[in-house]
Amino acid sequence: MEQLYCCSERPLFALRYQQISRHCRYCSILLVERISTRTGKLRPGDVVIFRSPETPRKIVCKRLIGLEGDQITYVVDPQSGDRCETIVVPKGHVWVEGDYIYNTKDSRNFGALPYGLLEGRAFWTLLPRKDFGPLTPKPE
Amino acid sequence: MRQWRSIAKEAMDRASIIVKFLCLLHVTDAYVVSSNHVLGPSMLPTLNITGDVVLVEHLSHRIGKLGSGDLVLVRSPLDPNKTLTKRIVAMEGDKVTFSLDPTRSFSSRSLVVPKGHVWIQGDNLYVSRDSRHFGPLPYGLIEGKVFMRVWPPSSFGLLG
Repeated sequence: MEQLYCCSERPLFALRYQQISRHCRYCSILLVERISTRTGKLRPGDVVIFRSPETPRKIVCKRLIGLEGDQITYVVDPQSGDRCETIVVPKGHVWVEGDYIYNTKDSRNFGALPYGLLEGRAFWTLLPRKDFGPLTPKPE
Repeated sequence: MRQWRSIAKEAMDRASIIVKFLCLLHVTDAYVVSSNHVLGPSMLPTLNITGDVVLVEHLSHRIGKLGSGDLVLVRSPLDPNKTLTKRIVAMEGDKVTFSLDPTRSFSSRSLVVPKGHVWIQGDNLYVSRDSRHFGPLPYGLIEGKVFMRVWPPSSFGLLG
């Protein structure tokens, strides 16, 4: 089962940094499969789409960092220092983060995400043309 | 040859009718109205402990027409393979006062339900595990609104 999703959730006339790639300012079209979320075959490092816990009509695209039971160490506010916190992801939840941590609303803002809000896993980029191909692992 | 072709054509026509019917059934079940078997003591006396078959409609939560007092089917935030049936007590922005232990009425807490979340509670506060235990529920986890009970026949009728 595949579906096309636009990764940027704002209208095209608004310039917005695309959350996954810091080099791309435009909308990306990704191919998303919905089987992995139903069978539970997600792994840390996958790019997932989910319904935002704060705005239920919005679909958000972030990278899966941790599954339930994992211990996550994250930088609380990268713009104001290097203070880190460590948490254990609670049962039935996952931890998601954007690749560009300086400008992203993710689990560091709204906490661990309930697994039921996950909708699918993005695995292929269709547009822009230069990024056509499988999604890359997180850039270090 | 011509005989096989007409048989094949008829088989395809019949198969396409069956496929169309199954598609219609799936779309209705997933997006309009579905039936669910709910059981457990957490919604007594509204729902029976031994199990009821209820009809759940999947339209209200998409157009935002849910309010406090509605019976809803939600996906559990603790176990994504389970669905719970509870009642919405407060919507986002409302202040909710609750006590974890209903036998001791003096130990109550109150909080404001955050944006994009709802507060659900079972009708049977003594045995229900609900928002008092796992916190406000994200609105995206709501799957549908329970509006009617069809089994057992003695309790057939609209709910809520």
